[in-house]
Amino acid sequence: MESNGTPPQPLHVHTLPQPNYVDFVRWIPPLSPFHRFIATAAFDSDSTTSTVQIHALTQTQSNNPPNLTVQSSIPTPSRITSLKLSTTLHNKPLIAASTLTGSLHFLITDPVHGRVESELSLPEGGLHVGSISCIDVVESGSEAVTVGEDGRVNLVSIGSGGNERLSYRRVFDGNGLVGYTAAKWASPTEFATGGLGFGLQWWDLRKPGGPASQFKGNWARGTTSGIVHSIDIHPSRKHTCVAGGSSGTVFAWDLRWQQQPIILSGVAIGEVPANSPCESEVWEVQYDNYMHSMNIGNISSSRVLPVMICSEDGILAVVQQGEEPIELLAEPCAINSFDIDRQNPSDVICSLEWESIAILSRA
Amino acid sequence: MPGLTSDSGETSLVPFSAELPVVYPLHQGLKPPIARLSISWSRGNSLRVSGFRSESGDDEVGGKVVEVKLGSGDGEIDDAQWRRIAYGSVSPFALLQSRRNGMLAMSKMSAIFSPYEAEWSDYIMEYSRDIGFLLGGHKSSMSSGIEDPKTVLKKVEEPTCLKAAWELIEIFYADKKSQTWTPEQFVDWLADYDSLLSGTQPTVHSKLVNFQRELVSLQAIEDDVKYWEAISSALAVGWLDVAVKMLRLHGSYQLNQLGNREVENGLVEAVAVLISKMPRMRHELSAGKLGECYETKPEFIKAWEKWRGQITKLDCSGFWVQCYHHQTREGLKNFLQIMLGNANTLSSATCHWIELHVSHLLYIRPFTMGLESMYSLAQKCMQFKPMSFPHKLMALLLGILGENTEVVLAECSRSFGPWMVAHAVELLASGSTQAEILLHEERHNLGGITMEELLRLVYAQVLSSHALTWQIAPIYLTSCTKQGMALLEILLYKQPVQHNQILLKSIEICRLYELHKVSSKMMKIAGVHHWKHGKKGSGVFWLQQAQDEIRLNRIAQQLFDFVGKSISDESFKQWEGLIELLGSDSRTAGGLEFLHKYRDFKRSLQQVNDGIATHSAQKAAESLILLMKNPSTPQLFWLPLLYDSLKLLNWQDRPLLNVSQTNLLLNKLQELSIMARLRPDFTEAELPSQALSSVRKSLSEGSLLKKFLLFGIGRGMRSVLDVTGSKKLCPYSAFVALVIAVVLL
Repeated sequence: MESNGTPPQPLHVHTLPQPNYVDFVRWIPPLSPFHRFIATAAFDSDSTTSTVQIHALTQTQSNNPPNLTVQSSIPTPSRITSLKLSTTLHNKPLIAASTLTGSLHFLITDPVHGRVESELSLPEGGLHVGSISCIDVVESGSEAVTVGEDGRVNLVSIGSGGNERLSYRRVFDGNGLVGYTAAKWASPTEFATGGLGFGLQWWDLRKPGGPASQFKGNWARGTTSGIVHSIDIHPSRKHTCVAGGSSGTVFAWDLRWQQQPIILSGVAIGEVPANSPCESEVWEVQYDNYMHSMNIGNISSSRVLPVMICSEDGILAVVQQGEEPIELLAEPCAINSFDIDRQNPSDVICSLEWESIAILSRA
Repeated sequence: MPGLTSDSGETSLVPFSAELPVVYPLHQGLKPPIARLSISWSRGNSLRVSGFRSESGDDEVGGKVVEVKLGSGDGEIDDAQWRRIAYGSVSPFALLQSRRNGMLAMSKMSAIFSPYEAEWSDYIMEYSRDIGFLLGGHKSSMSSGIEDPKTVLKKVEEPTCLKAAWELIEIFYADKKSQTWTPEQFVDWLADYDSLLSGTQPTVHSKLVNFQRELVSLQAIEDDVKYWEAISSALAVGWLDVAVKMLRLHGSYQLNQLGNREVENGLVEAVAVLISKMPRMRHELSAGKLGECYETKPEFIKAWEKWRGQITKLDCSGFWVQCYHHQTREGLKNFLQIMLGNANTLSSATCHWIELHVSHLLYIRPFTMGLESMYSLAQKCMQFKPMSFPHKLMALLLGILGENTEVVLAECSRSFGPWMVAHAVELLASGSTQAEILLHEERHNLGGITMEELLRLVYAQVLSSHALTWQIAPIYLTSCTKQGMALLEILLYKQPVQHNQILLKSIEICRLYELHKVSSKMMKIAGVHHWKHGKKGSGVFWLQQAQDEIRLNRIAQQLFDFVGKSISDESFKQWEGLIELLGSDSRTAGGLEFLHKYRDFKRSLQQVNDGIATHSAQKAAESLILLMKNPSTPQLFWLPLLYDSLKLLNWQDRPLLNVSQTNLLLNKLQELSIMARLRPDFTEAELPSQALSSVRKSLSEGSLLKKFLLFGIGRGMRSVLDVTGSKKLCPYSAFVALVIAVVLL
């Protein structure tokens, strides 16, 4: 990896060992800079229990290692397969979690103390056959989309105010003929899903019956194909989905250029730039607003914005179209998930395979 | 049990305590009578106990399964902490292995290994330090600013026996550079870990802790005999800083007393200074520790002689008679005896044999070199202070000093488990030739593997049995040249395939170790699993990834059944995704390539149904021919396809098929008829029973005449008919068609 660029700023990394396996980490939108909380999906192998945990993040001095203290811990019936954050109408953080057995949980939390105020859940069995692969909550926190390998796409409505209950309707049922592994909202009526064979689908709730648009997954023919693990859509550029998946593949799909992917990284595809930061599964992708804000002047509207990725081979990096990737972390174990703090994009949190959480601050 | 047979403790190297088994009651919550009880190993350290009730039982039949988690070890280190150690030791271990391989490659080229030996011992030391750091209990260099003068012993993080054992092995096997200072390192080791021995016997540490507790309530501490005992003990084991600090708590230092206890105070201070000036043969001292360091033997001897001279001089000094405080005089004189190496004084100042050993090394035999002399000294000390309760660290130390690698390995394994042995063998092998031979010799009774490999395999097994650590087992397995890869394959096959994430992690391991066959097998297993559980898309995906044409073809048959049932025209959207996934490449799609064409056919057929458009009808007919021509189109589908196409066959505007196409369809139909006769069950349940006949009728009406003419009238007509074939031929002879139908049947 010696050819990789170095981070432009000094990077402070703190690794905090955890007493259990961390499947996902997310920043909880803070009320103030003094109340920083993170949500984790924890799995305790000794008792085989899974929990959604809320930790308070405290740091006495900038050079001291930060501290995580558990504020609340809510058990889920099985292992968590997806964890997303949003805010409710009343500006309270909303944690959404889906599980391996197919149940769905929404936790409305108190932004000051990091405690759970109310929990809404849907039991297993109704939404999906088997596990829910991914959930994504719309910006306003009123609706969520769930997808699964059973090929179902469900829309869950989260009641608010005095009427806090869940209801759902099926948008599509693929009957297992297709499987979806990732989902991301683009607007209140549009979302994208990803699945097997590097396929992406664009859904518009105003056009029912099936995906409004499909991105053919077989562009990587001739070599092996893969699975899309994560999708991100930038709020200012809704026409472009960026997706990460198998074999270090990160690509963007511009709806305006239907069937031609923009490949940002990957080893599976013949003639792509050799500057892939990783060769293994890319578990998560997110647009990196920090890098974006640093060189906002240089990025034309046709170029894909910088994307942060984490991978099975332990890489946390920022990939940019036509540029050397910037490697932030190279761990000896997998990085399973990460999250960039939206309010303070210099801070990144990630969960490592070896039962620990790493907190990075750029600058 | 092998240990129970070795009856006498004297003959066995490692005593095996034949303790009575402990009985734990287990509440299964199952009403008796229990007909059958089955006990098996579950994952990791869990036992699965299944109880079955007899079927004659009146109300409840069935049984219950209980998982019993067996506790591990002494509880010094909990499971999560063990896993943390396991994770952390991966990188140092892997680095050391890759360095070893690199050096082996180098030495093969130059045929000599010796120039790298120094380099290798550096690597071993780096490895040992990394592992040691991982075991925690770091001596914090940061002191908390203001110190409480009455705190004699600094509070440190509770050390662990594991760390103590690791450091002991490091001192005696790995640390080649400091070999001349081994006794001094041993002194430091005891200072760090004496507290661990307090559990089973009194120690200097426990003595000091007890005294510290009383210290606060004492007014004139120099009157208390315990004060003098505590200092002499600390001094005897070389904790000079503690001894000096305690000495300076002496009452004569208080300003109001200084006047009338001048001589006494002078003597106390003189002893304190002598203590703090003690020559030490070592490279350096850590901050806060007292003594003067000398690196070479001549320098040290010179300083040692001088220092002892000063002690003797003080001992004979006339000031002692002017010291009126009895306890002070006796106490200080006692210290001088300790420093002069009076064996009896040392013996009474120390609590157990290791402390006595250390005191001898410090004050009587500072030049002790080599394990042999240390071992004989240890045996002598044990005569003075026999072990009443042998501590595991003492047993380990005796094994090391006795240069008995088997004992060291056995003690490590017994007291600290497989992690310890698997990692400590690196140090042992580099530290002693005897150990190296023992560990690296291929053994017939172990199936041709070395002891080192065996120990690594055992550790890898432990890692494999836990859901969170199995992923690091490959690092250890691949370092085992004989059996490692085979066990790695078994490990990978054992991993669950139903969840993509775990499957992908396994595949990643296969990629790293180039186990392509294994990964393709795992993908096949996953594919079949998903297929069976109704996730057809996932099933096809994984089988495609595995390039398993045989299974793809086989499941194609099942898929066609499903297609035949479910493809109503509205539900076709569901299929789109799967068809996209299949692509058009027959290599990856296998028999499923058919679906692609079928989709095209259905699509144009739908357009035909929507409105009457000859163009799309023509297209649909083309698709039909393509499908029928294609060898991958299953026979099962011929009739449904033809039945679906009835409208095309009976197209009113103009015939959509030419002669050869009609022939093709007829041939297929004939094959179907033969098939139907051979296998009466071979009919499509979903299709109306008259499907075959109606298709036959349409084909006959439409163009059977052509066939008849072709074969009946002669070849000469063919060219003519080919020309006219595209034009409409009237279905003018139902009679002829009937004849043909009879022929066909």
